[in-house]
Amino acid sequence: MSRILTMARAGREALDWEMERRPEIVCLGEDVFKMGGIFGTMDGFGAKYGPERVISTPISETGFIGMAAGAAMAGMHPVVDLAYIDFIGVCYNVLLNCASKTHYMSGGAVKVPMTLLIGTGGGYNNAAQHSQCLHATVAHIPGVKVVYPSNAYDAKGMLHTALRDDNFVIYLTHKGTAGVGWMGPPIPTTLAEVPEEPYTVPFGRVKVYREGTDVTVTGLGMSVHEALKAAAELEKEGISVEVVDLRSLVPLDREGIMESVAKTGRLVVTDEDYLSYGVSGEVIATVAERDPGVFKKPPVRVTMPDIPIPFSRPLEQAVLPLAGRIADAVRRLMS
Amino acid sequence: MATDVIIPHDLWEEDDKTGSIVVWLYRDGSTVRQGDVIAEVLVEKVTLELVAPASGVLRIRVEPEVVVSKGDLVAVIE
Amino acid sequence: MPLTPELRRGFWRTMCLSRAFDDAMIALYWEGKLPIFQFGAGPLPGELHCSNGAEPVGAGVCAALGPEDMITADHRPHHVAVARGVDLDRMAAELLGRRTGLSQGKGGHMHIYDPAVNFASSGIIAEGMAVAAGMALARRLQKRPGIAVAFIGEGAANQGAFHEVCNMVGLWKLPVVVVVQDNEWAVSTGKRESTAVERNSDRASAYAMAGEWVGTNDPDDIFLAAERAVARARAGEGGTILELRTARLAGHFMGDQQAYIPAQMKQVDPLPLYREKLIRDGVLSAEEADAIAAEAKARIARAVEFAKASPWPEPAEAMAHVFAGEPA
Repeated sequence: MSRILTMARAGREALDWEMERRPEIVCLGEDVFKMGGIFGTMDGFGAKYGPERVISTPISETGFIGMAAGAAMAGMHPVVDLAYIDFIGVCYNVLLNCASKTHYMSGGAVKVPMTLLIGTGGGYNNAAQHSQCLHATVAHIPGVKVVYPSNAYDAKGMLHTALRDDNFVIYLTHKGTAGVGWMGPPIPTTLAEVPEEPYTVPFGRVKVYREGTDVTVTGLGMSVHEALKAAAELEKEGISVEVVDLRSLVPLDREGIMESVAKTGRLVVTDEDYLSYGVSGEVIATVAERDPGVFKKPPVRVTMPDIPIPFSRPLEQAVLPLAGRIADAVRRLMS
Repeated sequence: MATDVIIPHDLWEEDDKTGSIVVWLYRDGSTVRQGDVIAEVLVEKVTLELVAPASGVLRIRVEPEVVVSKGDLVAVIE
Repeated sequence: MPLTPELRRGFWRTMCLSRAFDDAMIALYWEGKLPIFQFGAGPLPGELHCSNGAEPVGAGVCAALGPEDMITADHRPHHVAVARGVDLDRMAAELLGRRTGLSQGKGGHMHIYDPAVNFASSGIIAEGMAVAAGMALARRLQKRPGIAVAFIGEGAANQGAFHEVCNMVGLWKLPVVVVVQDNEWAVSTGKRESTAVERNSDRASAYAMAGEWVGTNDPDDIFLAAERAVARARAGEGGTILELRTARLAGHFMGDQQAYIPAQMKQVDPLPLYREKLIRDGVLSAEEADAIAAEAKARIARAVEFAKASPWPEPAEAMAHVFAGEPA
């Protein structure tokens, strides 16, 4: 196997395969017919499947995401492209009170199988309203599955899984990892050999990118790749870092996290989302609840601080959880 | 027999613009089929696809992030 | 106010200044970003949505406003900001992320705030609708003069916020002018593909607002319509949906090839048309028109120089300004 794909291409392949076989799948979103969604996940689908199944919508998120939920309840499996996660503010009620809660409130009588594709993250100087991660904001809602692949192999496998799930799944991709040209050349660790045939990657399992013995560094989305850069640097200093990609927030592989930290005894949690009330605290709580005795040193969080993301390049670079900050945190734990 | 992989003259409109390969979708030495998308080419902010003109073994001659013009040889398929 | 030659020369000056600003920013934008596109590279990183083609909207509407009036703009704010008199040096510095910028580099080009001239913008579609209505409500409660103007695009008129706010403006007769800038395209989605009515001004009747439509992208016509809307608002007669047909000559954002625009829908640059009109009407000679344009370019060149010579913010400044009442 020698074919290498970007995350964007891998995701497109999964959606295309499912759409070819399952008429209940329809695509909705702004500009999806002509432009194929933020990462081109639906690139060329307009011509291939026609305007009935690839529906460009007005800028009416409350309306079309609510309609996706309704169509799901009526037997379809809508796939909605919401471009940037910053825009969930417009349609949050659908996520918060409708698509997430209907199955429960109906006592299991009504299913809402829909997949929401959203881009996250900053690092490209697009300021406070177009650079957020907000994955904790959606993962906090009971009744939503939230997955976050960080490489092309997982991008394809997890999208197949999402499209075959009977639930509301939010499928996140950090803009910087997708491998779309407008974000610059792809990060090498996001590229992967991807089989042409379909396959699924189950939700709720961490992926150990790199095994190590001294420190566990957890990440998700872009911060996985920053952690990998840091780990490569630290290896030269004789520090062995285990890099664990959470890749699925709901369900979260708590045992997988515990297993790694029990081995290394030291934990650095990286997250491009805001520091407080988020995934970084959840990871540490996961270990502390099971056995705080495994910590040789108190765990450290390397995240976006609790500030709106600044526009100016030196300001944004200073607050992102980049490899340098991660490596410093690891060194402090080892000293 | 080897087939040159060149940047097609109709890949983008303006002749004076340059691009660059952002990613090879097959490793050097891989077997490719005619019609496979083998690389992505970025011109300004637009991503374009480079298609294999023949089947065979791909020999990459131009690495990503090197500036290329229309007509440049970027690989050979043996 | 009659459409005096002086006023019309002012429109030309404002339009030239706005165009010069955008042209300068476009040049800065591409600096350092090629051959391999990188958002973060060059003096002006991030996304950039330029106003080329929409200059008559800013010039015509803002000329009908007084200093007490309040403005919200959207992700494409430059033409309104320039026409409103936002500080050009500090706006340029903000786009370049410098400490001397309007927001000390915190906001960038979509988030322009200049309280000295009651100007604010936001990158979220239709967000400014409710904010403008709230500003108008505040002035009513404070018994102070001042109306509010929300500048949005035709795509934003399909947001829930648009319809909720229009209803309240109509219900409470709030002094609000909603300027719907119809440049025909919401990214790649044409108005006919997204909007159930031909004109958003027709939607006014559903909300007990006045509706006006101007199809010329000419600042004279825009000014006169805006003046009528502003007069109604000041007189307590309530709000107006003022839809203005305009143009988006530089794409949705930088790098947008606009391949989705069919040849027959190619848009016209309003600047040469207005220049010709002023010369034809004897308001300006060709030399005078070109002198004004050259002066505008020189003014913007000074703003760019100011911005480029300005210091970067210190990294620690990222932590300041989250809350009011704390030391910066």
